[in-house]
Amino acid sequence: MVTRFALLKELASIIPDDILIVASIGNNSGFWGQIKDREANLLHVTMGMCSATALGLALALPDRRVIALDADGNLTLNLGVLGTVANESPKNLTIIVMDNGNYLGSHKDEPGMPTATGGKMNLEGVGRQCGIASSSTVQDVESFRDKVQSALSRPGPHLIDARIEALDSDRPARAKRIADPRQNKYQFANYIEKATGVQIIGGGLGNFG
Amino acid sequence: MKPEKARLVLAGLKEAGVNFAAGVPDAQFIQVYRMVAADPDIRYVGTANEAEAAGVAMGAWFGGMRPALIIATSGLLVATYHLARINLLHEVPLLIVIPYRGDLGDPRWMGLYQKTTEPALKAMDIPYRVVTRSADIARTIKDCQESARAWLRCAAVLLTEEALW
Repeated sequence: MVTRFALLKELASIIPDDILIVASIGNNSGFWGQIKDREANLLHVTMGMCSATALGLALALPDRRVIALDADGNLTLNLGVLGTVANESPKNLTIIVMDNGNYLGSHKDEPGMPTATGGKMNLEGVGRQCGIASSSTVQDVESFRDKVQSALSRPGPHLIDARIEALDSDRPARAKRIADPRQNKYQFANYIEKATGVQIIGGGLGNFG
Repeated sequence: MKPEKARLVLAGLKEAGVNFAAGVPDAQFIQVYRMVAADPDIRYVGTANEAEAAGVAMGAWFGGMRPALIIATSGLLVATYHLARINLLHEVPLLIVIPYRGDLGDPRWMGLYQKTTEPALKAMDIPYRVVTRSADIARTIKDCQESARAWLRCAAVLLTEEALW
């Protein structure tokens, strides 16, 4: 099995600059922010909200490809979102689940407690039965690269369940400060404003009529 | 709920520039959901629960949309953790429209929501207006939207029995 950090490094090496990344809280945001500090990252999206936020973003910007960097504990908190994704069927959305089958272990030297995927749940099967036909499981860097590149070149939605080690044994030393949620909000929104010409931040221009 | 009251809610959303909505249908507000879902100017996403809807709405806001979260008083409780994060940590403005069950004048016993709705909004530091007259529906929705956008905060509109039925 492979580590989260190894897959995120691979992802950083293959995605185009214009891909919008929505990352869940914890090590997905922490590692990704260190590996690929860029304006097109929306970070720190909390438990149960990552894929939902990526769905809203993908629907709002159908011409931009969006990747949700979700995790097993995060996703299973609001698993119904997979049905919503299937029904809305955004062609530009790929959900990558960093699935370590484990709560809390990523911050420890020993595994925490198992998630449902650490037991009998199979997210690829769940995704497919929810209606996401392009659902797959990967367990190594090579198949991860192939699935991501395939997803980015074909209409979605896609679900990639990346089975990773329970522990982030190769976690990097913290080399830089990651933007907090508010700082990251301005960074990301300003990037979208520049890219689309649509005003996001602000309002209150006296239009109280 | 009379169709003309539902049309007032829809008119308020459109005057407020809402072009995206997410939520879970509520029996007392179903006409509004149907009108919003059918409206060509609003992209409606029906979700499995209200917390998911809050996430979808936040994503839409980052994509340049003007989203509204249309949820029941029970749904506000379901969405509380996500709304607290959205309002207090991300500081993203979502317009939240809630048919207010349990207010004085509501003939059904909805005391649970009388005890939870406003305290929950206060706990999350989400400003709100309670609308008791149908004539105030559209204006209040628009005002709350304007303030939410200006303050980068969520804002809620509570539409009571007297205003809606």
